[in-house]
Amino acid sequence: MTSEMGCEQVRELAPELALGIAEGEERDAALRHLTGCSGCRQLVSELSSVGDGLLLLAPAREPPLVFESRVLTAAAEPPTRQRLQPLARRRRWVAAAAAAAVLAAGLGGGSVFLATADDRRLADGYQAALSQGQGSFFAAAPLQGSQGRVGTVFGYQGHPSWVMVTLQPSIRDEGRFQVQVVTRDGRYLPLGDAVLGGASGAWGGQLPVDLSAVHELRFVGSDGRKMFAATFDAANPWD
Amino acid sequence: MWNLSDESLLAGLGSGDSDAAAVFVRRFQRRVFGVTLSILRDHGAAEEAAQESFVRAWRPASAYDPRRGTVAAWLLTIARNVSINMLPARRFDPIDPEVLLGIEAKRPREDGAEAQVVDSELLREPLARLPGDQRRALVLAVFYGFTAREISELDGVPLGTVKTRIRSAMMKLRSELRVSDDQ
Repeated sequence: MTSEMGCEQVRELAPELALGIAEGEERDAALRHLTGCSGCRQLVSELSSVGDGLLLLAPAREPPLVFESRVLTAAAEPPTRQRLQPLARRRRWVAAAAAAAVLAAGLGGGSVFLATADDRRLADGYQAALSQGQGSFFAAAPLQGSQGRVGTVFGYQGHPSWVMVTLQPSIRDEGRFQVQVVTRDGRYLPLGDAVLGGASGAWGGQLPVDLSAVHELRFVGSDGRKMFAATFDAANPWD
Repeated sequence: MWNLSDESLLAGLGSGDSDAAAVFVRRFQRRVFGVTLSILRDHGAAEEAAQESFVRAWRPASAYDPRRGTVAAWLLTIARNVSINMLPARRFDPIDPEVLLGIEAKRPREDGAEAQVVDSELLREPLARLPGDQRRALVLAVFYGFTAREISELDGVPLGTVKTRIRSAMMKLRSELRVSDDQ
């Protein structure tokens, strides 16, 4: 029905296109039309200005006094500090992955013999485990709360990719959380609800993206606050 | 530095100029925090969202494209998207359109941001004159990113009615902006 759209149909949809809320095939068909119709593009552009103007009507509010310094500190951090800490772990992953790759290829090269027998057994087991499900890698990251580490998040890159969370037994209070993935390109994706704590010591879920695309897994309380989180950048062997 | 245009400040950010970064934050922090607080209705969450918005604006992947609007609109769109994503599963307390329209109608403009304010102020009165159901649909779409289908489900109103409300409201506001351009 919406494979091709004329100007009249696109103009009907133009306000939703301009506000970024048009959906599905209708949106796709309208966007195809816009590529070849300057008149409709002009209309959407004008309506987009309206949408921008409405957003600017939000009442300005004074943030806390320390806000500016926090922003500047946070903005300066990611390229440096976040990448310093994981270096040791990343090297270990790369070594294991490299050894597994060499073994898988049936090559005897020097790099294999530089590893100890234990390392080779570890790499062999790792590779064998992955081959069962044709996965690419496993990873793990500490789950942090406001008082420090509360558990561990394990991740698997495969088809599908998934995460499994285990909580330390010392977390006795049970809570219901919304689980979210923050991707490395800044998207927030819901993973569903989880009950954790007390008798509920573990939770698992399928990822809607590759594990390699995950920046953070977060558990959000009923008041919308982030309660626990695990950052995966450090655990990605391909970094 | 304070008198630099928004675009010039952004260029400074791109080259790692810490002074430009500080001025950029000072210039927009009230506006960004205003959007995140309007949507999230929680000071702690709003501060986290506002901070995340600025950090994203720093990233090369979020590069500003002047063809697609002003720096302020671009930054506030980032703030809106970050806030929407922090809303707990659509359990939300939507901003009252009357609050949006009324509280700061006489608000003084922020230093250095005059150029971005003018057009939006032209919309305040026409927005107030819209029928309440059109205004609500528009606020849900603009501030919360709700699709027409989601608004239809939320308010128990037929989808076609919601689409008509959004379209009528947007077309009226567009007409107001065009009239002001012609004067």
